[in-house]
Amino acid sequence: MADSDQQLKSDAFLEQMKTHLTTDAGKEITKKIGLVYQLHIAPKKLGFNEVIYTVDLKKGEVKKGAFEGGKPDATFSFKDEDFIKIATGKMNPQIAFMRGAMKIKGSISAAQKFTPDIFPKPSKM
Amino acid sequence: MAMRDLVTGGASCNDSGSSSSSNPLGSLANALIGSSSKTRDRLKEIPTSTSSGSSNQFYSNSDEQLTALPGSESEYQFNQHSAGQDVGFLHNYRSASHSGFTEAWDDIQPERESNFLESRHIYNEGFATQTQQSWDGPPQKILSGFLHSFVDSSRFGAPFRPTALPMLGLTKGEKQCIRNRSSIMARHFFADKSEEYINAQVDALLCSLDIDNDIQLKGPLPGRVRELEEYWNESQGLRAPVADGWVAEYRQNKPELFNPNGWANLFEQEHGPNGWASEFEHDQAQAVSLNQSNQHMSRLAGMEQTRILAHTLAQNNDPKFKNSRFLQFVSKMSRGELFVEGNQVKESSISASGDWGAEYRQHHDGGLSWADHAREKELLGDDKWVDEFSKLNVQDWVGEFEHQAEGAVGEDIMDSWASAYDEYLNEQSVAKHNSDSSKGVYVFSDMNPYVGHPDPLKEGQELFRKGLLSESVLALEAEVLKNPDNAEGWRLLGIAHAENDDDQQAIASMMRAQEVDPTNLEVLLALGVSHTNELEQSTALKYLYQWLRNHSKYGTLSPEELPDSLYYADVARIFNEAAQISPEDADVHIVLGVLYNLSREYDKAIDSFKTAIKLKPHDYSLWNKLGATQANSVQSAEAIDAYQQALDLKPNYVRAWANMGISYANQGMYEESIRYYVRALAMNPKADNAWQYLRISLSCASRNDMLEACDSRNIDVLQKEFPL
Repeated sequence: MADSDQQLKSDAFLEQMKTHLTTDAGKEITKKIGLVYQLHIAPKKLGFNEVIYTVDLKKGEVKKGAFEGGKPDATFSFKDEDFIKIATGKMNPQIAFMRGAMKIKGSISAAQKFTPDIFPKPSKM
Repeated sequence: MAMRDLVTGGASCNDSGSSSSSNPLGSLANALIGSSSKTRDRLKEIPTSTSSGSSNQFYSNSDEQLTALPGSESEYQFNQHSAGQDVGFLHNYRSASHSGFTEAWDDIQPERESNFLESRHIYNEGFATQTQQSWDGPPQKILSGFLHSFVDSSRFGAPFRPTALPMLGLTKGEKQCIRNRSSIMARHFFADKSEEYINAQVDALLCSLDIDNDIQLKGPLPGRVRELEEYWNESQGLRAPVADGWVAEYRQNKPELFNPNGWANLFEQEHGPNGWASEFEHDQAQAVSLNQSNQHMSRLAGMEQTRILAHTLAQNNDPKFKNSRFLQFVSKMSRGELFVEGNQVKESSISASGDWGAEYRQHHDGGLSWADHAREKELLGDDKWVDEFSKLNVQDWVGEFEHQAEGAVGEDIMDSWASAYDEYLNEQSVAKHNSDSSKGVYVFSDMNPYVGHPDPLKEGQELFRKGLLSESVLALEAEVLKNPDNAEGWRLLGIAHAENDDDQQAIASMMRAQEVDPTNLEVLLALGVSHTNELEQSTALKYLYQWLRNHSKYGTLSPEELPDSLYYADVARIFNEAAQISPEDADVHIVLGVLYNLSREYDKAIDSFKTAIKLKPHDYSLWNKLGATQANSVQSAEAIDAYQQALDLKPNYVRAWANMGISYANQGMYEESIRYYVRALAMNPKADNAWQYLRISLSCASRNDMLEACDSRNIDVLQKEFPL
């Protein structure tokens, strides 16, 4: 991890997501959603230096890099910070979309299932 | 006077004769003719005011409409749907020639307000014969009675029938209010019914109240966008004033842009008063309104409308216009050689939502764009206008239109819309934004009873010791207001905030403490921890490294010059050295534990914290750190034990309560998690994170009934519902 030129909050967060998906609650989510999301996370500005993650809620995996098994059901682009806000329930995905803080490609109905519910909440020390 | 002719010469418009009771105007006429001359005189004074109540209700398609005010047509259309029983009257009405009537109707539009009292009176006389219920009394009473009947209808499950009401003189704002409220209410009433049913009910209600239905049309955008809107409403829940009203609010902010009337007017200003712009817009609105209920119907109706439009256009005397390609285009459309997909037309007719629509379509391959559709119909290949039109993709068209309408708008369509909306949002939550954006700036409480206290620091320490965190925060705030250079005051304030589960404020106060006392180890550690919690890894690393540098014992371990960019591995290595030098120093293990949290080596972190706990078994914050680490490495069950230890040591430890909730939620035990969140919030209602998590848990546990209490932050209700 910790190379300081590109450190995203989302890295830590998605790492937790990865382990979370192995738990019973995580498997429940996989079963419920059953979709593949691709996340493009930009450190500062949308579209620049994006880090791509695949959140495969069919198999219950989080991987760095684009989805290899075809076309993801929905692709999201956001800034690091905004992704964290959305995932922790600080920002409503709809508002994010309307503000232009989140761009969506793919199926809208798949995108609608992209809610804070599917993410684990980080505990605080 | 036309109206008078109409009323007194009732025969011409009442040729079926027998149906006077189902013919409101006829019955009105009867009532009037039979009534006192005084009433008749009053009628003369305001010759057409009676129509404002009834005609709205029983109007229908007729050629006159096309010269009526723009934007009103869809309203009529709705009324036609709902008042189908009056078809007979409509036929009569159409057959009669009374263009003067329309003129008069136009005349009285502005007078409505002032005349409504008299008109109601007169109207009631004629009207009472038709409805069992007589709507009499002051407007408020009528309105409330009417709304009650709406509510009743929900109880009996009977579809609500639109009723003609006297003019209530509702202002625009009131109408909007009623519209919003009733659609929300209806959703509650008819939770078990289908969406169409609810809409029909609300439409009927609004229609009776003479509230613009076309607002409804524009509010929730039709088609799939509507789905999104619903979802939005649902997810917004009780942010309702904002959420449900935003479309309306937005429109208020930018009436020019949004209102199709305004659009038409603007267009007219540019292209001379031919009126075709408004006509065309009518047509589109029409198509849209129908499209909502029935796509097939919409085509037919659209064609019908276009035919009328073409007819009107053809009648236009302007020879230039007569030969215009637009007219050709429209007439082709009217012959059915080209029809319009309602959604697309709609999107291009309503400018602001059109932007969104365009963006939406970009992401949505399914929808066939209007232009594409036009291109498909090769019949129009030789038609230059359409050709030109189809070459432009719809976005360009919308963009160009915006240029005309507004001068110049930003190129990025989405942005222009979003930023306008942002403006509004910003206004709404300036305070919230401030605290969000200006991170690191301490935000003081508004009302602080401890200001003026002789020794707030002592009071704050005492309160902190007793575990009254929120109170001690106030006392300490009073202290640092009095003595802004009191590092201890800031430090304790920071710790109180951290324990209260507010890392932003904790960071802000710790930064102030560090300004005053840059080498305080506790402050540096606290900053490291809080930044780790906020996932700000490099900042956290910086503070932890400073901790090491400033430590009297380990400071020498680090290289003299502070590197520009810190490498985690280097820092971790040095800390490991430190831990070897003095394995009995709990603090080193704590920092190491935090460091491993940063690198997400949770097993090592757990070991470090466990070692530290052995050395300091009564440090509740350590137990919480252990628990949080375990939770983040998905050992939620173990985490709960650790939190329990922390809470045994410090029962008012808000952060531990909230963490308990998180652990249960992450295990999918939402009911339990709610109880813990509520407990945490009861102790510190300012813990924003906990509110957000509570909301998620409530919806996961299908307790949407409590979302309202959550959104209004009504902790009493929640505590009652979810006792621990």
